[in-house]
Amino acid sequence: MKIIKNLAVSVGLIMSAQLATAAGNTLETVDPEADRIALQNFYKKRFPEAEIADYVNGIYAVDAGSREQWNELEEFPPYEFDVEAGETLFNTPFANGQSYADCFENGGIGIRQNYPYWNKEQGTVKTLEMEINECREKNGEKPLKWGKGPIAQISAYMAWTSRDNTIDIKIPEDDKRALAAYLEGKKFFYTKRGQLNLSCANCHMQGSNIRIRADLPSPALGHTTHFPVFRSKWGELGTLHRRYKGCHQDSRSKPLEMQSEAYRNLEYFQTYMSNGLVVNGPGARK
Amino acid sequence: MRKLLALTAVVLLPTTALAESFDQAFNMNRGMYGKDHTFTWNGKQYSTNHQEDVEASVEATQANATALVEKAKAKNAEAGAVGFEWKLTKGLIKEAEAALAEGEYQKAMNLAAQAKYHARIGIQQHEYAESNWHLSIPQ
Repeated sequence: MKIIKNLAVSVGLIMSAQLATAAGNTLETVDPEADRIALQNFYKKRFPEAEIADYVNGIYAVDAGSREQWNELEEFPPYEFDVEAGETLFNTPFANGQSYADCFENGGIGIRQNYPYWNKEQGTVKTLEMEINECREKNGEKPLKWGKGPIAQISAYMAWTSRDNTIDIKIPEDDKRALAAYLEGKKFFYTKRGQLNLSCANCHMQGSNIRIRADLPSPALGHTTHFPVFRSKWGELGTLHRRYKGCHQDSRSKPLEMQSEAYRNLEYFQTYMSNGLVVNGPGARK
Repeated sequence: MRKLLALTAVVLLPTTALAESFDQAFNMNRGMYGKDHTFTWNGKQYSTNHQEDVEASVEATQANATALVEKAKAKNAEAGAVGFEWKLTKGLIKEAEAALAEGEYQKAMNLAAQAKYHARIGIQQHEYAESNWHLSIPQ
């Protein structure tokens, strides 16, 4: 009788463990707010000295040596000229006399914290860069390339005007597709892929602040707050999706296209994780 | 408590340890000895060759090389369709095609076999991820 009782308890333990692993990872059970708090708790445990608000500064929130170098770099921010160029581009009317300001809420000023967002009519996640190009096309202009150059400069200027605004990504409850997009982003973040069998989480959660050759991967919390970034390795400004593509390739995968649905969902998930933090883009990174 | 733990282990054993032990044995032997090695697992003998090693070991003719290159291309397209194409695979296929065009059939088959292996494992990775991705989430 005792054996049967013990066996029943064992099976119960296994089943509850399986239920626990499924909880929060299906459309029926996913809870973005619980995910956000769990991610913060992960880093509180991992780097007890770091303030949550400081995660907008990436690796510089948790590595003193890198922070020292970065502080010096920020004395003459390498993205400064790009912000100026972005402002000029933003304010230059299209051939039809319209401008970017006409396409965005509040004339495009101080709105970065609301991107990406779920567009119910189109049934997809919209990013800021996507809407910059849509604005151009609507006004008879050619779309810009996604990764660098003018699109990154315009995005940088728009981020600059939004600095210190609190990120506020919403997942509308009246459209299950929004939650599904969030879940897809979460799944992408945790899925191992490529010849190196690495997930985003492997490097940016378990591996954050642990050397990969000479590099220290940044914590995932706050990842999207400071884009676009002037990356020393690039020697220029680049968008978040340019970085996604590079990271994806670093796992020895064939990367997806910038602004593909999968990357936009990933941005949706990651930016939701940064809710409550502030916009501090554009940033400077190694 | 000890009995409870022991029973839990017994119940878990068939679904975890035993189910994976062949893969572990295969991978360890493949890693240590490379291909064309024989190892024993659960009293039976197995080869460390991947199915692609076998496919590349047939006679090096134009027809066989062409067939393997086509298989590699098809498998890689399958991996790409689920978003799990690996970075170097397309390059390997191109090299295999170049070797084929040069009449270097064995080289073409070796390269195509490697590409097909990449694609096959990429698909496996996708299948595993579909039901296990959440295991990467720290608890």
